[in-house]
Amino acid sequence: FLAFSLCPGAGQDVGRSCILVSIAGKNVMLDCGMHMGYNDDRRFPDFSYITQNGRLTDFLDCVIISHFHLDHCGALPYFSEMVGYDGPIYMTHPTKAICPILLEDYRKITVDKKGETNFFTSQMIKDCMKKVVAVHLHQTVQVDEELEIKAYYAGHVLGAAMFQIKVGCESVVYTGDYNMTPDRHLGAAWIDKCRPDLLISESTYATTIRDSKRCRERDFLKKVHETVERGGKVLIPVFALGRAQELCILLETFWERMNLKAPIYFSTGLTEKANHYYKLFITWTNQKIRKTFVQRNMFEFKHIKAFDRAFADNPGPMVVFATPGMLHAGQSLQIFRKWAGNEKNMVIMPGYCVQGTVGHKILSGQRKLEMEGRQILEVKMQVEYMSFSAHADAKGIMQLIRQAEPRNVLLVHGEAKKMEFLKQKIEQEFHVSCYMPANGETTTIFTNPSIPVDISLGLLKREAAIGPVPDAKKPKLMHGTLLMKDNSFRLVSPEQALKELGLAEHQLRFTCRVHIQDPRKEHETVLRVYNHLKGVLKDYSVQHLPDGSITVESILIQATAHSEDQGTKVLLVSWTYQDEELGSYLTSLLKKGLPQSTS
Amino acid sequence: YRDLHTFELQAPTRVIEWARGSRICVAGYGQSGRNEILQLITPPALQAKETQGLCPERDFKVECGGFSKRAVYSLKYVPDTSLLVTSGPPDSSLQVWQVSTEDSDVIKSVSTIATENATGQLWAKIATISARAPWVLHGSTLDSVQITEVELRKNVYTAGSQDSEELAGLAFLNSSTAVLCCTRGQLCVADVRQPRGALQAMPAPAAPCGDRWCLGTTCAAQGSGLGAQPVARLSSGGLLTLTDLRKASEPLASAMARVPFPGSGTEFLCVSWAPALQGCLAVSGFDGTVHVYDTQSWDSSGREAEPLFVHKGHALGGSGDPALVTVHTWHPQKPRTVLSAASDNSLHVWDWVQP
Repeated sequence: FLAFSLCPGAGQDVGRSCILVSIAGKNVMLDCGMHMGYNDDRRFPDFSYITQNGRLTDFLDCVIISHFHLDHCGALPYFSEMVGYDGPIYMTHPTKAICPILLEDYRKITVDKKGETNFFTSQMIKDCMKKVVAVHLHQTVQVDEELEIKAYYAGHVLGAAMFQIKVGCESVVYTGDYNMTPDRHLGAAWIDKCRPDLLISESTYATTIRDSKRCRERDFLKKVHETVERGGKVLIPVFALGRAQELCILLETFWERMNLKAPIYFSTGLTEKANHYYKLFITWTNQKIRKTFVQRNMFEFKHIKAFDRAFADNPGPMVVFATPGMLHAGQSLQIFRKWAGNEKNMVIMPGYCVQGTVGHKILSGQRKLEMEGRQILEVKMQVEYMSFSAHADAKGIMQLIRQAEPRNVLLVHGEAKKMEFLKQKIEQEFHVSCYMPANGETTTIFTNPSIPVDISLGLLKREAAIGPVPDAKKPKLMHGTLLMKDNSFRLVSPEQALKELGLAEHQLRFTCRVHIQDPRKEHETVLRVYNHLKGVLKDYSVQHLPDGSITVESILIQATAHSEDQGTKVLLVSWTYQDEELGSYLTSLLKKGLPQSTS
Repeated sequence: YRDLHTFELQAPTRVIEWARGSRICVAGYGQSGRNEILQLITPPALQAKETQGLCPERDFKVECGGFSKRAVYSLKYVPDTSLLVTSGPPDSSLQVWQVSTEDSDVIKSVSTIATENATGQLWAKIATISARAPWVLHGSTLDSVQITEVELRKNVYTAGSQDSEELAGLAFLNSSTAVLCCTRGQLCVADVRQPRGALQAMPAPAAPCGDRWCLGTTCAAQGSGLGAQPVARLSSGGLLTLTDLRKASEPLASAMARVPFPGSGTEFLCVSWAPALQGCLAVSGFDGTVHVYDTQSWDSSGREAEPLFVHKGHALGGSGDPALVTVHTWHPQKPRTVLSAASDNSLHVWDWVQP
């Protein structure tokens, strides 16, 4: 019995992910994200949903974080230090290394730049990370005696993983964000045929047919090239990690091929560390990078240098990658303000911008922005948008389902109304049930667990000898007694069970009276019955015993005269419980009467 | 090119039909019994007035989808309704579907319009028009051409012909006239106001006997006569013939399209007029290319014509068998934008530059 509850987060809300799974009595929290769009308490999930009373540490067996994007781990310090949770938190090694950096960066901007007070502190981030247990790919981690988890490669960003959670023979696989096609620096997600009871998959891009990467890259390079050729400057605001590396490799390759001289800068601090981590976790990158790493480190860029604030004022063309990605604060915003007034320049927004940020405003077409101090900034530079984010589309989701072979599928992160078609597609193709719960909704999925039972060798030998030869492909019916003691199940022969339990065997015997009209003597009636049965029951052993009784297998038949009526004979048919079927059959047969002519 | 976008569908399509509000419909034609009909919203990049290199959304969105056991060889929207009609082997019946995006994104099968089966596995060609009533013109052979009112499933017109010639295509010229084209090249004009009207036949252009033909027309504005736009016919040998239906005895103009292997493709032959460019038409189905021709300079000599533009995108696909373009269609408003699909699941949207 697997109950699954979509706790205050994902499910039709592209903003934050936080899912609660109850499996065989264990409770696991999957991801703990924050919503980038809200500036108040709505940005964190409402954890009071989880348990009305009682501490979270007692209720939850563990927390699993899939990757370092803030919409999957942004609320973690709040959850563990401010709401209160002291249990284990699992994530992959790269995620453990990079999470605190992003969290600290986000904290700095929110508290220092925006002056918010009800937010987690640097110390809280550190304390939170102390509770983290890092895991390797494909390593089975024993959370407790019954609960185990295993991470699989998910692509998407460095360190992103899909997790399998297993209790006994029930399991759930949570994908987090994943990508089924490899890109320049990461491989594609992969999972083995683990046949989980439930696969929880993200479906952000399920209804999208994306244009080819080649076209998008070509157009991106064209725009950058054109701007640089006319002496303009290109600003690309990025999150420290993720697509930035992909674009760096793309530009580096292009610069090399076209022999371009304009400088490319990568803003310092956060992003230097990021590149350092990519080098450190080189095994998490894709095949091609690993192979060429010896000759040439893909992240050792020839044309991309570290940025210094002063460079922004340098004349001439350049390309700068600066954080943060939505132009909401920090260095990228500073550079933007310097360059916005020149129409030769260009800013390329790399992804989704949350409402309220400068990034969102300029993408919506605003060209006059109010900055702090009521200053108006006129935006004359070209504003472009491109999205290189790596998520699975409908085809990718089908591929993953085909790989894992789950019994049920649950889709999160999509828009429910628009997913009926995908739901039917999955149900028809794989003959599984597909669910699409809303935020806060609980989905219950019933499983058919198999319960392993030990069978005694003696019983196995005995039962195997009865009937047809055992066949690996055909189920065989066996009879035994099931003993349930403590937490073990054993199948033994009835005799052994009785002995072990110190019980005596009881025998049940049934006797039935059948009246037959026959005026002759008893022993003649018996003979008639004997001959009749002998003729009808050719496959059974019918015997006429010296004492005047008849046996059919182990069933006994005796004839006596009726006490009051000499013309009627009473046949006593007697059988044990085990011979019930044959006994009833014999009785009804005899009740039909004896044939007239017998010899 | 001014612009080029390439996409990959999960299954190849041989239909691309436009619907209101920048939507297109594609459908699978596999024999496996599980085909999808997908209504896609075109990317905002396509809808914008000026072409931009990088745009908010460059992707198609699957707005709704349905499942068809039959291969879908032909698909048409029924204007002014929320219905669409499909057809495909093994017989010439039509399947009617309901597209409703209100509460669900599933295209549901609503009914079937059965027809008497022609011999062989001939499938019905379909045409629709925005008229007083939801009419569908369909048929697989000349003698089975009929108009059915889709909602009431009532027969409104039947062609008065005994000829069992196989049809290559049919189209409404206006709300009272339809043109039919046989696979052997003959054209017929039908007055559909008469329930059992006879057909006015025109001979096929001179061409090798084994050639198969297909039809390209533009639906003229209400009230305009037959001659508003010539009808184009394309043969599997590459011969393009333009005919003015008022003087159908002689072709208006003809030319040879430059095709690498004439006679190779007959399954996916496609010719269509550009809705916003006078005299321009596009041709595909011979290989992985789409040719655009300007017919205004053609005469009736039938010699080889130089294409204005050749889209080679589908032929440059990855490894494996070379792709064959299955269908193409013009964007209704943007004059030089064409959509084309091929047998390798690709779907291209391209905007060519006038040389």
